[in-house]
Amino acid sequence: MANRLPVRPSALSRRSLLGLFGAAGGTLALGAMALRSTASQVRSATPPFTGPEANPYWNSVGPYVTEPQKAPLLLLTDRGVQLETPRSYFQTAITPNHAFYVRWHLDSIPNAVDLKTWRLQVEGNVAKPVSYSLADLIRKFPAETIAAVNQCSGNSRSRLEPRVAGGQWGNGAMGNARWTGVRLRELLRAAAPKNGSVQVQFQGLDSGPGPEGYGSHFFQKSLDMTDPVLDECIVAYAMNGEPLPMLNGFPVRLVVPGYFATYWMKCLTWIRVLDKTDDNFWMKSAYRIPDTPRGNTTPEDVKAGTVKMIPINRMPVRSFLVSPDGDTKIPAGMPVQVRGIAFSGYGGVTKVDVSVDGLKTWQPARLDEDLGRYSFRTWEFTWTPKGPGRYTLAVRASDSAGNTQPDQTVWNPGGYLWNRIERQDYFVGAAE
Amino acid sequence: MGLVKRYFALFLGGSLAIVLAAGLLFAQVEQGNYAPATLGQLQQPSPAALTDDSVYQVAAYPQYTPELAEGEGRAETASFCSLCHSTRYITMQPPLPAATWEAEVTKMRKTLGAPIPDASAALIIKYLQTHYAPETRKQ
Repeated sequence: MANRLPVRPSALSRRSLLGLFGAAGGTLALGAMALRSTASQVRSATPPFTGPEANPYWNSVGPYVTEPQKAPLLLLTDRGVQLETPRSYFQTAITPNHAFYVRWHLDSIPNAVDLKTWRLQVEGNVAKPVSYSLADLIRKFPAETIAAVNQCSGNSRSRLEPRVAGGQWGNGAMGNARWTGVRLRELLRAAAPKNGSVQVQFQGLDSGPGPEGYGSHFFQKSLDMTDPVLDECIVAYAMNGEPLPMLNGFPVRLVVPGYFATYWMKCLTWIRVLDKTDDNFWMKSAYRIPDTPRGNTTPEDVKAGTVKMIPINRMPVRSFLVSPDGDTKIPAGMPVQVRGIAFSGYGGVTKVDVSVDGLKTWQPARLDEDLGRYSFRTWEFTWTPKGPGRYTLAVRASDSAGNTQPDQTVWNPGGYLWNRIERQDYFVGAAE
Repeated sequence: MGLVKRYFALFLGGSLAIVLAAGLLFAQVEQGNYAPATLGQLQQPSPAALTDDSVYQVAAYPQYTPELAEGEGRAETASFCSLCHSTRYITMQPPLPAATWEAEVTKMRKTLGAPIPDASAALIIKYLQTHYAPETRKQ
């Protein structure tokens, strides 16, 4: 730095030169001391776990890993594979396939599928069992496309207090894609379900080493034959216009718009019409929520056995503050574009409000293009922090069914349905 | 002589002011802060070799097996739990109360059919409670 100082050393005596450099050095040292608090450092890793308090980070704390067909994602577990999407990928309404989160239950999942022999079977309590190759699905039926959010039932599980066992997701167990495929109704109609059909069960190519009849052997999910969501279901062979990544369910997966992802069977291979209610582990014991407002209960009530549990279904309204992520300081007086997403399983997002004063007052955000009632809706809000300080911004969404996100927490033993108002702290620095 | 002296003093004072000002200017930015690092560094997978047949294949899914805490019951925990899933299912959890760990192992055995003998199950429960509870978890 010294050689850049606007000084001509030849014009000065050695003594004055030393004195000058001493003075300049002094001011540099003072300046460096003042800067120390903001200097960029090589940063340390997130801790290997969080708790027993709630996870304070937006995402889960696992390391980045690379898996086939994927960008580096955040590792929860490696067998079954569970990977979380980092926050920055939610700046757009459509989540890229290579960044889409991954959640498998069982450890034996396909590395390869031979489309010469693979067939989608429609069977069970039907008059005409039928099977389709991937080419059949593409050629024999009209293609339908829907933008829909796929969110893990346990998304944000690490927010619950007391913490519950299970995948310790941050907020990134969700994604939004344009799904293209065949209407489930068309496939069911072709197989002609017989009288007395109660549910339709879905099963994929994954399996586990557990004994037959146990949840550790097969993963199966069922929907009621009378559930109106069946009219909206799609057996998707394309995700954002491309084949599905193997980890997201190649060659086809079920799309259940508005419902949690547990029903969105990956590598869907068996569609089975049942003449009685499915009582397999994944319906009877797992993925069940209290039949209470917001699925909220307490550990005491669960212990007392007074809580009626029902299968999880639609996703409550949620919104997220994506950018800026609070990782850098904002200069006072500078307009900041605050962006995020919102969605609801009960219908389109009608309103997104932002609070810049710690939830005291709310102002409407601008909603971007509507890609459909089950899609992420991106929003934007211009915020100009007046002076230095620590600010808490918060975002809440409302949906067309009249639901608005509350600021109350949720607790249930499965760690499902978290949809509390999200916050983000920002540091604003002096700019003059 | 007096004049030269005065000019020199003036020049020296001016120069000092400039240098001090320049020093302050530079003191307002920080530059060139590099340090050795491996955080966030991942190896890049090479492109796959493909064929045009009907088999659609991806590479093996990588395993990232965690280090379990040292202690009695570690071997049983690693071997029985790994029958169905990675032991990352253990290290991923927040510190869980003793009763929760017992309930988890019981669920694996009774509800999900894990073939763990009683003696081993007791060891596994003790191990998890000893190393992965709120009072005890360190890593």
